[in-house]
Amino acid sequence: MDTNYETIIIGGGVLGSSIAYHLSDCKKDRILVLDQKFPLAGTSGSTQAWIWVHNKTPSWYAEFNMYSAELFPYLAKKIGDVEYKQTGGLSPFFNEADREKALQLAKAYKEIGIKIKVLSREEALEKEPSLNPNVAGATYSSIDGNVNPFRLVDRYMRAAKKNGVQYSTFNKVTEIQKLHDKFIVVSEKGTFVCKNLILAGGTWSRELGKLVDINIPVNQVRGQILVTEPLKPFLNYTISGVRQTFNGEVLIGYSMEKEGFNRATTLDLIQETANMAVHYIPGLRKAKVVRAFSGIRAMPEDGLPILGSIPGIDRLYVAATHSGMTLSPLIGTLMSELILDGETSVPIDRYSISRFDSLVR
Amino acid sequence: MDKTTIICRCEEISYEEIEDVISIGARRFDDVKRLTRCGMGPCQSKICSSLVAEIIHDKTGLPFPEIPLPRMRMPISPIKIGTLTTNSTTFSSVKSVLDEVELEDGKVK
Amino acid sequence: METDVLIIGAGPAGLTAAVETASRGLDVTIVEESLSMGGQLIQQTQVLGSLPSFYQPKRGFELAQRLRKLVEDTSVRCLLGHRVIGFYKDGSVGISDEANVFPLKAKKIIVATGAAEKAIAFPKWTLPGIMTIGAAQTLLNRDFVLPGKHAVIIGTSDFAMDVALQLSEGGVQVKAMVEKSQTVLARDTEKVNQVSKMGIPVHVNSSIKEARGIGRVEEIDIEQREQIMTIPLDTVCVDGGRSPILDVFYQLECSFGYQRELGGWIPQYNPFFRTDREDVFLAGNAAGVSSQGVLLVTGIIAGINASESLGALSKEEAEIKTTSLWKEIETLETKLDPDVWNARIRHVQNYEHPVLTDQFIS
Repeated sequence: MDTNYETIIIGGGVLGSSIAYHLSDCKKDRILVLDQKFPLAGTSGSTQAWIWVHNKTPSWYAEFNMYSAELFPYLAKKIGDVEYKQTGGLSPFFNEADREKALQLAKAYKEIGIKIKVLSREEALEKEPSLNPNVAGATYSSIDGNVNPFRLVDRYMRAAKKNGVQYSTFNKVTEIQKLHDKFIVVSEKGTFVCKNLILAGGTWSRELGKLVDINIPVNQVRGQILVTEPLKPFLNYTISGVRQTFNGEVLIGYSMEKEGFNRATTLDLIQETANMAVHYIPGLRKAKVVRAFSGIRAMPEDGLPILGSIPGIDRLYVAATHSGMTLSPLIGTLMSELILDGETSVPIDRYSISRFDSLVR
Repeated sequence: MDKTTIICRCEEISYEEIEDVISIGARRFDDVKRLTRCGMGPCQSKICSSLVAEIIHDKTGLPFPEIPLPRMRMPISPIKIGTLTTNSTTFSSVKSVLDEVELEDGKVK
Repeated sequence: METDVLIIGAGPAGLTAAVETASRGLDVTIVEESLSMGGQLIQQTQVLGSLPSFYQPKRGFELAQRLRKLVEDTSVRCLLGHRVIGFYKDGSVGISDEANVFPLKAKKIIVATGAAEKAIAFPKWTLPGIMTIGAAQTLLNRDFVLPGKHAVIIGTSDFAMDVALQLSEGGVQVKAMVEKSQTVLARDTEKVNQVSKMGIPVHVNSSIKEARGIGRVEEIDIEQREQIMTIPLDTVCVDGGRSPILDVFYQLECSFGYQRELGGWIPQYNPFFRTDREDVFLAGNAAGVSSQGVLLVTGIIAGINASESLGALSKEEAEIKTTSLWKEIETLETKLDPDVWNARIRHVQNYEHPVLTDQFIS
């Protein structure tokens, strides 16, 4: 295996692999992806994988998500079928306080050109007849949808490899040194040298940051999700909390727990999630759950992406975010632009790590 | 082995498909599963996990103790959602997305 | 619901564990998925040759009846038709009777979930008529249904010999037994002779190449020294060996080690049949696949030590009993296969050094 690279990306999840693909698509120039395990073993492989814009705040962050969602149809043409489906997204609500929130959200979005509709009870039930008849209404956006997360990462990885990108998996990075014009990256399987270094460690970003004495404030939030047996296609939309896959399985869950890196599931939460399922879609009562899984989300301290160069260390970059599935095509594109041209077609200043007070550990 | 031999009968995944993902670096059952759907069906890998471990062993020479078990999950066997809703009435950790939308002076922040 | 000891599985090991704990005055609950107690013993019509010294030789179903009687004489709570589906954050066990899920709080848990038969893959192995050897035996002896008229058995273990004889006696023509090794694996020569007397041909150095059939298996190809032999049939019984059923241990975050001779991955445990979770014991095939006689003894050891951990007998007494029961295991298992015994000793010695641990930590 070569030891000398132009760019090394640490982390082969949806972000790392998207960056590897987009970068190699612009310039095939000695790129290595290092993964401590294997792509999809972490967050990217344990998600419902909504491509989701609506209900995200602030509105400029929703706009950022929209730009990325709009790239999916083109992405599929470049890397192959990722089972992307722009189903439209529906967020049901069950009380009047939430209707007020929904109306305000629609107003704020309108200013930036994202259309979301606040549906009445009747409109919601007409769109999605299997919803609980006690629903008060729903917000609706046509841009939302979902993707097969396994396919997406696999396709990024295969397309990147086709462009000459190398992957070294089951290979944890243990040490990073910065010399004046290069990085020395020490891993379990060997030492590598590179000019550009990108930290795309997802939930492990904080740990990676420690190797370069930088505080990357990303926390872990656990989500537990139920998977049903395959059912006849009956859900028309991606519903916040529930979606049906190409195979007919229904994925259910919208939980958040602070449990560090513990990926266990608990019967307490499985039962709560089952309650949520029948609260949203009463017909799911008869469906069988075959599995519950747990994923650890990467959650930056203020909930917003951390993107771009790291001040004070030339040619060191970071990409860490929640909503990696939705944002991966855009972040892959923008990070490539940043590395190759020094600037991005969509501004990312708002997402700079310099917004946090305690940059240096 | 004949390449078309089915390894995962629930999802009808063939030997060939498993061989392919091992060739791109999969070394554990769960890696194979995520890339092929092998083991994602109703039996949740109870039938195919030992077959896949043997293929990984044959193709890579990894000793069996270095090929970990698939990650097992609850429910230990399939169960109806309606049954799961019994004796549980709380919603404490399960949120709706609108819970995340915060209003300030009646407006979205 | 609360209990002192929860036993998961009412097979031979679960039942001996129940007798040991309940007879010492503990409140014991058994959860069993099926509607009957006795596990795999129920369909064993053969005389079990290697039982512990304190048992008379018996047929499997007779032994099941006796154990059931012993359990019924105690105040054990038997939840038949119930299954464990998971665990709550506070450690309570989630049990379902299909209509409801309810929590059960147990001071100690003895897991005796048994072993599952392993598959062997070959082209068209998923055709109807191709089944595991245990499934064939269950059809015959428990459901009183003939699995077919003309069968081939893949494998030559002692168990395969038992089932070959039972199928023959039941009226199934066993056309051949197929073994990929150079010699027959069964150690019970008397049984091997019986099989040969019945006129069942045994092919060593042979393996199944493929099955064919439309909607059901109709013929198979056996490969022997590059020669292909085609056998028309309607049933193939496959003996792929067994491996411990681990889901419950995995959810309980027990650690695991690997011993090929005991069925592959097994929970790590110490001489008291306690896992590395203080409140979780184990018994039976789940602690390493072995003979019926050994399974009974492991249940007794787990029961004694779970009782000791709850103060129902003294430490000294438990240790004396445990040591003498380990001697029983040694005798039975060495006779069965010294490699199995050696693997068990190795496994217990590795208690402090599990291979697979912290399975839910990313």
